[in-house]
Amino acid sequence: MIRYVGSRLLTSVVMVLLATLVIFLIANTVPGDPALVALGDMAASDPLQVKAFRAQYGLDLPLWDQYWLFLQRLVHGDLGISISSRRPVLDDIIDYAPATLELATVAFILSIVVGLPLGVLAAVRRDSWIDHVARAVSLIGVSAPTFWLAFIMLAIFYGQLDWAPGPGRLDPVSFPPERITGLLLIDTALQGDWATFHDAAAHLVLPSIVLAMATLGLVTRTTRAAMLEALSQDYVRVARAKGLRRWVIVNGHALPNAMLPVVTLGGLAYANLLAGAVMTETVFSWPGLGRYTFRSAVTVDFPAIMAITAIVAAVFVLVNLAVDLSYAMLDPRVVKK
Amino acid sequence: MPDESDAACDQPSFEGLDRRSVLTLGAGGLLATILQGARPATAQSAQRRGTLVIGLDISDATGLDPVRVYQYSNPLPTHAAYDSVVTFAPGDAVNLKPALATKWEYLPDGKTVRLTLRDGAKFASGKPVTPEDVRFTFARQLAIKDQPWQYISHVEDVKVAGPNTVDIILKDPSLPLMTIIASPPFGITEKALVVEHGGTDAPDAKEKDKATEWLNQNSAGSGPYRLVGWQRNQQIQMVKNPHYWEGPPGYERVLIRHMSESAAQLLAIQRGDVDVAFNLIPEQIATLKDDPNIRVAGMTSLDFVYMAVAAAPSNPALQNKYARQAIGYAIDYDGIINNLAGGKATRPVTFLPVGVNGSTAELTKEIGFKEDLAKSKELLAKAGLPNGFKFQLAYGNASIAGVGYQTLAQKIQADLARVGIQAELAPMDQVNMRTMYLGGKAEAVLTFWNPPAPENWLWSAATVDRVAKRVHWDVPPEVRKLVADAAAERDLAKSAALYKKYQEAMVDAANHFVLIQPIYQVAIRKNVDGLQLTANGWMAELGKAKPA
Repeated sequence: MIRYVGSRLLTSVVMVLLATLVIFLIANTVPGDPALVALGDMAASDPLQVKAFRAQYGLDLPLWDQYWLFLQRLVHGDLGISISSRRPVLDDIIDYAPATLELATVAFILSIVVGLPLGVLAAVRRDSWIDHVARAVSLIGVSAPTFWLAFIMLAIFYGQLDWAPGPGRLDPVSFPPERITGLLLIDTALQGDWATFHDAAAHLVLPSIVLAMATLGLVTRTTRAAMLEALSQDYVRVARAKGLRRWVIVNGHALPNAMLPVVTLGGLAYANLLAGAVMTETVFSWPGLGRYTFRSAVTVDFPAIMAITAIVAAVFVLVNLAVDLSYAMLDPRVVKK
Repeated sequence: MPDESDAACDQPSFEGLDRRSVLTLGAGGLLATILQGARPATAQSAQRRGTLVIGLDISDATGLDPVRVYQYSNPLPTHAAYDSVVTFAPGDAVNLKPALATKWEYLPDGKTVRLTLRDGAKFASGKPVTPEDVRFTFARQLAIKDQPWQYISHVEDVKVAGPNTVDIILKDPSLPLMTIIASPPFGITEKALVVEHGGTDAPDAKEKDKATEWLNQNSAGSGPYRLVGWQRNQQIQMVKNPHYWEGPPGYERVLIRHMSESAAQLLAIQRGDVDVAFNLIPEQIATLKDDPNIRVAGMTSLDFVYMAVAAAPSNPALQNKYARQAIGYAIDYDGIINNLAGGKATRPVTFLPVGVNGSTAELTKEIGFKEDLAKSKELLAKAGLPNGFKFQLAYGNASIAGVGYQTLAQKIQADLARVGIQAELAPMDQVNMRTMYLGGKAEAVLTFWNPPAPENWLWSAATVDRVAKRVHWDVPPEVRKLVADAAAERDLAKSAALYKKYQEAMVDAANHFVLIQPIYQVAIRKNVDGLQLTANGWMAELGKAKPA
């Protein structure tokens, strides 16, 4: 088992590096020049200033030297200086990651807590009203564009009904808590500042629902399909013949067997939520990594693009690893093999 | 999939139903608890009343240390925190107004500007503003050499001249100074505070100065508000400066909330979560017309959208001046302003926006391009191209004041087709477009210009220098001389006359066609009084705003 984990970790590192290499090469084929984006019109027209700028960011080096430099820095935990924000990429990421982490985690919990039972109920009561509801939810979740959904939610629940607070992580006049983790819910709870905790939680409601919708749809659909499959198996028939109670059959026999595809999906979905919150963050003025990534791409900010790629790749690879390892717990046959 | 006979599990079960309703009720209750009370109390509290909340896209800002302020949004907080030595009143981009200096004059040597400082002006710390602070500010700027520095790179030295005077000595006295140092990057900083946090004006300040990090979170100026925090892509927080020399400002706090989406800004101002919304597009502004709580204020900016047409080596037709002039007379300018920009725009003759010295909308009617298809065809014939010609028009995927470049390009394409000129549209990424244009590789582009300060020389010098290279304009010596003379002329009326000649020369060269100079529409809630918008580079005078 340890050898298995070890070799998986090793391949993970290779995968992450390969991902950064691919992105590096793609980013370098863009004809746009980062120096011209970052410098003002006057400076961008002064060859000396452009040259100095390129030297400062290592943009004047041959392609492979640039990549080699990136690897060397990476080993030392240095992600370089962002071209567009002019400060260490690591500082930027530390600033923006918690907002995304908090939003993605709440959205993930939401999609599991709602999607899993909904999928199970839909399978158990196939073709009943709850099945129709589940199908509608997953259809909307999977097919509604996030950008549209975000605006509709904001316009209805904030603009019209005034039930939910507006964009941002906190009310304009409330003071952000002292930064410990950067996760507002945790920081406010640690400091016992329950008013701000309440404020932060309320601000999470709409964006997390919007972000959760797509995942929720997938979780519901996958759970429903897997449960239908499991419920049709012989062991369920046997269990029913034995006269076991219905919820024992569903929760004790069918559900564990239906969990495998759901866990795979859940892992990838969480990684996706972390990496793919750009639209939600844009509409809800959420100061997270999604916006940062978008801006880095638009401004051809190489150091930031590379760092984000490395991080996103690492998250995906690690989540995948965690999913594979959890198979062993869910399905003893995996270990025996 | 299970077969139907196996659907026994689909029988209703009571225990599940109960559990589900409990769950549903529980989840709904939790949601209600989270949301309840999170809104109304805060929106109306006394604390909210003493706070001015501004909705603005601040994602472009990379710093709030004045010497490094050169983006679009950060001059607003910088101007609120720092006074410059001189300033411009809102609506006036021609006449300088005293700020920290009450008097400024060229000494008889012709190259020294002597500033006399205001008595009694204090920094937010309570300490007086001294000549040494002014000297330090400029010396630090000159040593750090970040982007704003290039506009004053013709300054040789700054010296304390007396108990309340400072001398700025110029290398090249023919270049303007005062209009440039009125802008926010030249706000006066308190030396003691900046030095305490690692600042220096030593020659090696480019490497040694460490104050920027502190100045990104705090300010050291004498403006009406003091910076107390900046959470990137989130908000900029300011509090009132009780020592402000024009009297304490109207609000206890000012918050600039980052809102990148104009639709979110619209909702937020309608709900009263923000008091001022800067980034609304014309369609959104129209929906506010009947809102009793909101007024819409217009501000003729000094920004403009223009089409640059190069005498490109790749296109012989474009190398012909008459062919380029034919483009200028085939565009339906009024249609662009009235239909695309909703009438909320004006148009200068050329690269000098309406509002600066020597540029008015009347002058555009007199000497600027106008739609005249007969004349356009005549010019085409004169160019030896009676059947028109083809050129490529590049533009980025962006929009200015609600007008997308794509829409604008299509309109121009249709307009030019009327005289047989074919514009091939080349939409591309903004960065690629800029790379192509700056590298002199574009035949024609649609792009945008916004000035660092209302100083004519910053536009005119660009057109005969770096922009001229991009459009392959071989600038005649007499035009260069005209630009230099106009910049050196210190009499406003005489310099306006020179700038008129410059504009005529630009029209004749026909490399730049200014299409839209937007009148930005800003929504302001009526509970805010006295907020003045300005086109001079810092959006608004926050110091004058107070609760109604």
